[in-house]
Amino acid sequence: MSRQRTLVAGLAAAVALTALSACSSSAKKTNNGDGGGAKKDGGVYTSIDANYQITAGAPMNPFNSSPNMFLGYDQMRLGFDKYNPLDPNDLFPGLAASWTATDTGLTVQLQPNAKWSDGTPVTVADIKTSLAIAYTQGTAGPVAGAGGTIVQGTNFEVSDVKDLGGGKIEIDQLPGVKNLYFQRLVLSATIVNDKVYSPQLPADIWTQIAAVQGPDPAAAKAAADKLSAEGKTIAAFAPAKDVSAGPFVLTRVGPGEALLDRNQYFFAVDKVAPKQVILRHYTGNQQIWGFLTNGELDSSPYTSMPTNIADQVVKAGYTRTDAPSYVSASIAFNEKQAPYNNTAVRQALAYVIDRDAVTKVGEPVGGIAAPYTTGLIGSQTDAFLSSDQKSALNAYKPDPAKAASLLQGAGFTKDGAGQWHLPDGSPWTITLQTVNGFSDWIAASTIVANELTAFGIKTTPAITADFATYQKEMGAGKYAVGWWLTALGPQTDKAYNRIYGAADGFSVVNGKATHSDTSPANWFHTPATYTVNGQTIDPGQLTADLSVTPVADQKPIIAQLAAATNQELPMIQIWNYTKVGFFTEKHFTNFPKTGSDALLLNPPGVWMMQGYIQAK
Amino acid sequence: MTGFARRLAGKLLAGLVMVWVVVTFTFFLVHALPGKPGDVQYESYIMQGFNPEEARAKVTAVYGFTSHDPLFSQYLGYLGRLLHGDLGQSVYYSGVPVSHLIWSALPWTVLPVLTGLLVSFLIGVIAGVIAAVKRSSRWGGLLSVSGSLVAGVPSFVLALLLLLVFHTEWHLLPDAGTSDITLEPGWSPEYVGSVVQHAVLPVISYALLSYGGWLLAMKSSVITVLGDDFILASELRGLAPVTRARYIGRNAILPLFTVLALSFGIMFAGSFFIEQTFDYPGLGELLLKSIGVRDYPVMAGAFLLITVAIIAANIVADLCYTLIDPRVRR
Repeated sequence: MSRQRTLVAGLAAAVALTALSACSSSAKKTNNGDGGGAKKDGGVYTSIDANYQITAGAPMNPFNSSPNMFLGYDQMRLGFDKYNPLDPNDLFPGLAASWTATDTGLTVQLQPNAKWSDGTPVTVADIKTSLAIAYTQGTAGPVAGAGGTIVQGTNFEVSDVKDLGGGKIEIDQLPGVKNLYFQRLVLSATIVNDKVYSPQLPADIWTQIAAVQGPDPAAAKAAADKLSAEGKTIAAFAPAKDVSAGPFVLTRVGPGEALLDRNQYFFAVDKVAPKQVILRHYTGNQQIWGFLTNGELDSSPYTSMPTNIADQVVKAGYTRTDAPSYVSASIAFNEKQAPYNNTAVRQALAYVIDRDAVTKVGEPVGGIAAPYTTGLIGSQTDAFLSSDQKSALNAYKPDPAKAASLLQGAGFTKDGAGQWHLPDGSPWTITLQTVNGFSDWIAASTIVANELTAFGIKTTPAITADFATYQKEMGAGKYAVGWWLTALGPQTDKAYNRIYGAADGFSVVNGKATHSDTSPANWFHTPATYTVNGQTIDPGQLTADLSVTPVADQKPIIAQLAAATNQELPMIQIWNYTKVGFFTEKHFTNFPKTGSDALLLNPPGVWMMQGYIQAK
Repeated sequence: MTGFARRLAGKLLAGLVMVWVVVTFTFFLVHALPGKPGDVQYESYIMQGFNPEEARAKVTAVYGFTSHDPLFSQYLGYLGRLLHGDLGQSVYYSGVPVSHLIWSALPWTVLPVLTGLLVSFLIGVIAGVIAAVKRSSRWGGLLSVSGSLVAGVPSFVLALLLLLVFHTEWHLLPDAGTSDITLEPGWSPEYVGSVVQHAVLPVISYALLSYGGWLLAMKSSVITVLGDDFILASELRGLAPVTRARYIGRNAILPLFTVLALSFGIMFAGSFFIEQTFDYPGLGELLLKSIGVRDYPVMAGAFLLITVAIIAANIVADLCYTLIDPRVRR
């Protein structure tokens, strides 16, 4: 009997525990997504930070590579990039109210009421410390060149920060270094509190920076090594509490969520409606789909999803937003492996692959079939090429007859069963390599394989276990044909560097590009030069030239690179990604909508600073 | 030295050797994985929407924490640090001590897995005894079928089903997280209630997943014991059914005891599927993420924890076994 009593007592305890949980405040809050929302005091705004997955134990330090720190909420910058491809220096004001480019750099006027969450003002010391830290983190300083040399000019390089009084600051670029993007890079630097971070830096940090920038190579190297070691200390630093100059300050981080409270000292606090922000942890797209279909988020970051999920999300009361994403999914070739060293073969494949059909399956919601292969996304191609130049591009619309003609011209033959054979007579088969976790590439590979197989080239998709292995094996030349991200912008030199950079055997020293087919990083293995419209061009040199050419003067260079890429097809651009987001006006109103590209490419904290997201 | 102390010392020594072997093996294994931490992260940052300069700067920071020494020298350094209780610094989290990351994730694995394990063991063992004793009845059959059925359902299917019923349809329990973030952590009834409430679905998932195994193992063990001579003798002697049940239970549970002890060790590996489904981040997620980004120190630290836990559980099981079953001591 006593055991029965024990069992009954145990059951009673379990029931009591359940009752306790049912009576807890959270029981009432977490059931159907109505827990947050706008109230008289502003309410709770719930979203997901796409930059980092929340990790219990990660520091509240923006210089850590995976911090619990959230851009636009408690992580602030002088300005926020509008990702304008035609004006790289176009930014939203952040802690800087305004700025002016000067001959030596720029002057910045701080927001008159900029304060930290402890009530102290944002000062020149904060900006100076932050830029010194940027130097230690590889953002601002020189980069290591071959043989451990120091290469100036790749990054923005601040030589001095002067207090001009009245919240005005002069930020100078190292004399002799001309980084075209100095203004954007300085304004985009993360600003942290001097009192919190300067104890982590040596007192002579600017002396060390001056030594790195000095004429003595040995002293520069020694100082750079020292800065690098100090950078590690900064990156690992875990402040005890968050001191923010942004609209919110981090109150608490749990394994599954982060809670931020409105910063009452924020310079534009009257524009910020939510009293709190909850950022939820996620490990994959499926979780975000679940949060959205259950109506638990006020807005979502870009999330790849199939059409049926997007429909369910809209059905749950969300409005969809679209903004350009400066990334393309492409099928790239290793031209060291025959027959992909033959331009006609790559062109024939481009004529066989129906990009619209592939995109509809691979990335139906967040992708737009690439209109051209130029090395840039569609809207950038539109911005930089004239209509005549665009009309001269080959769109490679599906045309099996043209593909067959190109292959026959290259010595390929087709047997009675419809199978294509290589010029040496062996059957032509393709292994299309993709990678685990990239569900869009995997789905798209099936369609590409079907299309090529139907055309007579037996194609099999193959999946590599993870991206690290994929990257390693691709770099080692193991794959002949595989998926690759290209058109990384909005800076055009970065977009072309993805194709005509290290991955193609190009390296640049003092503005001069050289090509090596045997370079270990070279896996594209394209020729060093192309002949386009009767002219010989060097894509590596043109890409290097782009990095030192003002955007206004880049069009002739881009025209050559786009035409060469379109003709030679080192890769076939399949789709351009679109940054698809969702918001619901269940709790808040005045969200940025499709068309507000600059805002949509920034996190909601930046929207709030601009007066968006108002209580309903 | 007593016999028990000698056995303990011997097992501890063997355990230490085993830990060293596994540590050595896992150290070289994780470093043999293709890919470098920084390379992996560059693409990841690009996909997250960082522009190339920011991505490169972040990767530079990651490289700063990646050792470039020869592998064997790294191994010696690693062993040396281990002897001082230092698991090293994370690469992915730019120098955060590995022990800090593991310690932060640990409670959110131990709480649901340990509770789920104990609940499933308790219910599974009781149900197993009933299923064996009443195996000819409808109830016995039903219990056995329930065990087979639940044991056969994949973890993610079970977790999704629970989520659908208890969160999406009935709005009874939260779908994600470990507690209500707006509550101050502590021992307040609200916070404890919130933690319990958030743990219910993960605990039920863990419990259901292992319930079938315990039930079927116990049933099989009880049936074996029921055929033993001493049970027949106790029946012939007219001992009370409760006494006979105690004899049966004590003998039948012995094989399960070792499995239970090992399960305590294995639980430190967490269960990624359940952690992911309920967004209940614990060691499983930390380990999987570290593999994906090639965070060697975190990988090695997590594997070490699992290894030590399993070996320790094994030693404890061996020692306890000698106390529970006197025949083993002979």
